[in-house]
Amino acid sequence: MTRGTLVYIIQRLAIIALTLLVVSFGVFVVVHSLPGNAFISQRVHGKSLQLLLHEYGLDQPILIQYWNFLKGAVQGNLGVSLYIRGEPVTPLVLRELSVSCELGGAALIVTIGLGITFGVLAAIRQNTWVDYLLTSFAVIGYTVPSFVIAALGVMVFANFLGTLTNGNFAYAAVWTGTYGTIGELWLPALAIGLYTSGQITRITRASMLEVIQQDYIRTARAKGLREWVITLRHGLRNALVPVVSILGTTVVGILVGVLVIENIFGIPGLGKEFVESITEHDYNVTVGVFTIFALLIGVSNLIVDLLYTVLDPRIRY
Amino acid sequence: MTSGRPHLGGAAAGRHRASPAMLLLSLVAVIGAACGGTSSGSSSSSGGLASSQVLKFPAFQNPGTWDPGEADAEVDTEFMQNVFDNLWRFDSTLAIVPDIATAVPTASNGGISSDGLTYTVHLNPNATFDNGDKVTAEDVLYSWDRAVALQGPYSSNLSAIAGFSAVQSAAGSPPASTTGSPLNFQQSIENGLWGCFRGKGTSGATCNSSLEMSGLTAPDGLTGYTVQITLASPCGWCMAAWTLEGTTGAIVDENVIHNDPVNWWTKPSSKTDGMVGTGAFYLASFIPKQSMVFKAVKDWWGSPKPTLTEVDVDIKDPSALATTVAAWKQGSYGIIGYGGDSGNLDYPTIESIKSSPYSKDLLTQPKGRTTWLSFNIGYPKTGGPFVGESAAAVGLRKAFDLAVDKTGLASTVCHDLLCTAATGGLITKGLIGNLGDGQDPLAQYNPTEAKQLLKQYDPTGTLTSNLTYSYNTGGLNDPVAEYLQNEWQTNLGIHVNLNPVGDASQFISNRLGGQYVMSRDGWQFDYNNPQDWYANLWGTFATAAGANTSGFDDPTYDSILNQADAEPISQALPLYDQLATILQQDVAYIPLYYSVGNFLIQPWVKGAGSNTGFDYYWDQISILSH
Repeated sequence: MTRGTLVYIIQRLAIIALTLLVVSFGVFVVVHSLPGNAFISQRVHGKSLQLLLHEYGLDQPILIQYWNFLKGAVQGNLGVSLYIRGEPVTPLVLRELSVSCELGGAALIVTIGLGITFGVLAAIRQNTWVDYLLTSFAVIGYTVPSFVIAALGVMVFANFLGTLTNGNFAYAAVWTGTYGTIGELWLPALAIGLYTSGQITRITRASMLEVIQQDYIRTARAKGLREWVITLRHGLRNALVPVVSILGTTVVGILVGVLVIENIFGIPGLGKEFVESITEHDYNVTVGVFTIFALLIGVSNLIVDLLYTVLDPRIRY
Repeated sequence: MTSGRPHLGGAAAGRHRASPAMLLLSLVAVIGAACGGTSSGSSSSSGGLASSQVLKFPAFQNPGTWDPGEADAEVDTEFMQNVFDNLWRFDSTLAIVPDIATAVPTASNGGISSDGLTYTVHLNPNATFDNGDKVTAEDVLYSWDRAVALQGPYSSNLSAIAGFSAVQSAAGSPPASTTGSPLNFQQSIENGLWGCFRGKGTSGATCNSSLEMSGLTAPDGLTGYTVQITLASPCGWCMAAWTLEGTTGAIVDENVIHNDPVNWWTKPSSKTDGMVGTGAFYLASFIPKQSMVFKAVKDWWGSPKPTLTEVDVDIKDPSALATTVAAWKQGSYGIIGYGGDSGNLDYPTIESIKSSPYSKDLLTQPKGRTTWLSFNIGYPKTGGPFVGESAAAVGLRKAFDLAVDKTGLASTVCHDLLCTAATGGLITKGLIGNLGDGQDPLAQYNPTEAKQLLKQYDPTGTLTSNLTYSYNTGGLNDPVAEYLQNEWQTNLGIHVNLNPVGDASQFISNRLGGQYVMSRDGWQFDYNNPQDWYANLWGTFATAAGANTSGFDDPTYDSILNQADAEPISQALPLYDQLATILQQDVAYIPLYYSVGNFLIQPWVKGAGSNTGFDYYWDQISILSH
């Protein structure tokens, strides 16, 4: 690693830290300003409500509340949940983060696996039925929202297949434990991954078409190299730079997919928490979830930027 | 050239290369389906007990708190009733039966003194907490004193006991938290009570006797089995309120609470920590926002002895209903609707179930929840044509009431599945105080009379122009609002604006503050006594508690209410019926509907079900071979 790269990383990390501060403050102020709170109910109002607000420090000025939150946050303590009263938030969101990372990782594998495979195949079979089929597949992939794919998937693989086989051969619609099983993971991952893989397919195809016209490919072929070596080692590697450039936005797309898909499949991750914590007025959880999402996006973009230097040694920071 | 190398763009070779890729997606799907293959979704059962007695069901809400001193939600009490016991419990017919107490005190068995002020309760000496600690009189005193000091939403259930107000004053307000945690307040209460009960005599323990209610004593000593409850004034509803499970009447173990006064209930039960109760099940695992596991207490002291060995609960978001129902059909879940979630099955889901082989597994059960419309009667600042008791205000309220076809609402909005028309008064059918079908005059539908009243009291239409009906969005509330709007437009020619409020807590806050001219209102009963309705929703007590939506207040009402509350239910019931009449004559509300719960119960889950109030206890359930 060059000194320049190191400086670049430090600069980016500082920007990420600043972003987290701004995001956490903004979200903190906004969620605390929303009407209502986690405690009010037909039974909890008046004096009992005031007691609870006081007990949890929610009747203090917003800046003091944020300062108290920040003091804990820098030590890794995001406070306590207001909905599940007194439950520490940090272990909760970290566990949920790990679940979302599992789903997001699986979706990323689907995205890259399908996207690049289909993109390469479409390019090397340009203007054939393979190309048309895979390109059409890609277009459908990124025009059909992930929740539609999810709903169709449940209908086909859980309901239809379940009825057809008397439940012996069907998608298990229940999510087991914290991390589920492969049998439970594949459909949500596919629902997210199909959507994002469409874009990767298109970029890979375009990039591959450009690369395989290059002289060095012709030279490689003239040297008698096997076609798969030419395609993968000489073609794909050089075609990947533009693909990697959109990975940052792809990761964001996957995160958005996670938000929706976790709710549909009842997966206990950050995506489910994202919506739930807002509707439940669980302030500390909401701030924690937003901050972690901001962190994920910042770090994944940094990783993508660093990947450029690996794929293309001409790129220097 | 026959190298076999595919020509870039060559069609023929491409066929061979494309097929694995094409197969990939199919393989992923098929392998995944295979991996996810479930056991048979058969809905038949063979009658004998299954070898595995593990019941699994989803819950569509997270628990708020399972601390009986602070709990306030139905979803919480549905679980807590299996973990904690009160002195008495409600049986399946909502009758009060002994639980930790050996008998239900009455005047005839000597449990209630002749002046009705002193209750003597004998405890079952076999009762123990699931960690082995014996239940003695000090546990009852501690649990109730603590609940009063915490001043939670149900602490008023103990308000008739002598010394109640003194304890709440002594507990005072909690100190402001700088950490966002309520530890300080709960710790100080615990410290004050530790020296009075379980920690008595231990080094460093001091007793803050101001946290002890004077009306709660242990005549045979703290480690004895007799508790005496002395009331400040006679109370006819107290037994029902004290029996309400999962709330302030529940008996808790100070040995575990002392170690963690705030989060004790979130942790699995152990000898010295966690959610320890006296119920048939204990908390074995709680992963917040994910799952809970309850296990049967070995050699449990009560009856019936649990057949289930374990109850697994997945916490789901309501948006996961489709996958959850699919999982139920696959046999992964035994029940849907338990845990206070019987209102979560929507109409399309119920309809599809009804037209499928699963229709026989659908249980429909009226629930103790009534929805009505409240007028602003007593908040002049909010205004509107319905304020006050003038003939015009009452007449216009009546006009708006008679213009709504309640039976039509139940069939149009609820498809006669999700609710029934509220024609028997505010108190739901099946509960004490329900007047009987068709007995509420406000349930009538008479558009002709409605129009006449409108013409009489608002001939120019100025009073009733620009009215707004407010409601919280979600569930039946949106279609009900549209139905009402349509009824008033059709039968009165009045366009009423709709004010949907997205945030339920904000809506409740505004509603209880009397900020709406017309609003959706309702009540989920707590215990089977009309006092639960008439004291909490109208009159002086409700106003003082900040819960009088309509602002209806009337000295006659208050006087009769006070009288009724002091009488046993047999004598109080005619008085409560008088209160119903007062509210009807005043047209304080428009009755809309009684809620109906819907459950999906596998045929191999025996003993599961629900009554108007709560799910049947888990110790009544067993799993049949299937």
